[in-house]
Amino acid sequence: MSEIYDIGYRHYDGPRLGRGHATRALTVHTLRGVFGLGRTARGKIVPFGLVAIMLLPAIVSIAMMALLGQRGLSYSSFAVVMQAVVAIFLAAQAPTAVAPDLRFRVLPLYLSRPVTITEYVTAKVVAMTAALFALVAVPLTLMYVGELLVDLDGPPATKEYLGALATGLLLALLLSSFGLALASFTPRRGLGVASVITVYLLSSASVPIVYAMLESSGNDAAARWAWLLNPFWLVDAVQAWLFGSVPNADGDGYPAGPVSGVLVVALIAAALAALALRYRKAASR
Amino acid sequence: MNPVVAGITYRALLGRRRIVLLLLLPLGLLGLAVLLRLTGNADQRYATLLMENFALGTMLPLLGLIVGTGVIAPEIDDGTVIHLMSKPISRPVIAQTKFLVAASLLVVFAALPTYLAVWLLVRNEDGMAAGFAAGSLVAGVAYAAVFLLLGVVTRHAVTIGVVYALVWESLVGNFVPGARKFSIQQWGRTVADQISTSVYLKAEIALGFAAPALVIATVVAVVWAGLRLRAFSLTGDE
Repeated sequence: MSEIYDIGYRHYDGPRLGRGHATRALTVHTLRGVFGLGRTARGKIVPFGLVAIMLLPAIVSIAMMALLGQRGLSYSSFAVVMQAVVAIFLAAQAPTAVAPDLRFRVLPLYLSRPVTITEYVTAKVVAMTAALFALVAVPLTLMYVGELLVDLDGPPATKEYLGALATGLLLALLLSSFGLALASFTPRRGLGVASVITVYLLSSASVPIVYAMLESSGNDAAARWAWLLNPFWLVDAVQAWLFGSVPNADGDGYPAGPVSGVLVVALIAAALAALALRYRKAASR
Repeated sequence: MNPVVAGITYRALLGRRRIVLLLLLPLGLLGLAVLLRLTGNADQRYATLLMENFALGTMLPLLGLIVGTGVIAPEIDDGTVIHLMSKPISRPVIAQTKFLVAASLLVVFAALPTYLAVWLLVRNEDGMAAGFAAGSLVAGVAYAAVFLLLGVVTRHAVTIGVVYALVWESLVGNFVPGARKFSIQQWGRTVADQISTSVYLKAEIALGFAAPALVIATVVAVVWAGLRLRAFSLTGDE
């Protein structure tokens, strides 16, 4: 039967690399896109500018260790202190990972290859997670290498550094799954940026108000829960629970126990489910 | 002011998903105000905290960003702006119309909820409700103009706007006092302080600087956006 349609083009007889390779290629392509590699110079300004801002405190911290002999920023507080920059990076770059494919309706083209919806979404989430993790982990590692080279009194804070890396990965996964889920609801990049940053600011601007409100009514136990409204403090609560780091919240810390960990896992699951549902619908158009 | 252009712009902004974002922020503000009222914290200190942290500090720049860029940036992105610009309407008039639409939406979605939220907490004690509403009104108009200009000038308008609102007004403003002089949010606070006599609200910038700055920023941005539209080149998406 196929003879009828064979109009004499050469067949492909090279190696067939399969689904795994296609997914990896898509992941690498997305990761390059997040940092603006392979795009115009103007597309590189924002991601690399934000990376440079993230590296600044690490450099200042190394300088403080070398000149004054004391630690600047602690590893466990790095992500919380720099949260605005991380949130801007997520908001600015998550839409570039998902919006163009939706806008130009090229999803059916991807799906005509062996890549399935699950693999497409996995590739996007993995790429965004890797980008955010790099954004947090590279300055942390720089600080750690600096600490080893400067050779401060006392043992290096290896446990705190590794704990910060592990929670950095968790934070990256939480942020990227949420950011991509929000950004994928619109094919417009500008609106995607605005919706991600709106949700972040809603969660972070309401924290001090809710906290002050509950604390003033003498409800200290309930006031601690206010911190969990913001993703950065939520993951910091997981860090305090798992690695025993010093809480970065004012007042007397977070609700005790594994509740923050359960919350993070539930939120990640909800965001991934929303992404899967969204793309099941987008693929059928 | 061209009514047809205004109608198209209103429909584009209110008929799509953008309206969810426009409603989310004022509803969050009113929700927090109701929460404060229910927990018995409805005093001037909390009203000021809510206004400075949430209404003026977060909601207003974001709404200004969404509305200000939303009136023109999607059309430029789509390329549909060429249909608009090929009509015999003066380009500065297009820019002015879009600015008026953005400003009117900010009155509805930012200034009114601000008044309502303060009124829920302390009524109009010491002129607080009127003060904050007026402050967010003038600052909202200035944001609309500036972000409209940004939407005409660059395709990365929303990202640059977010960086301005978060990094310049919040981060840099906290560490470098001089940066606060060039912050629309602080100018709005000055206007609020003029009207309200509450002791909790203290503006850092004198009205003699803030009022001319607001007017100049608004007028220059709208005029400049009109000039940019007159010699506008459509470039492909990256």
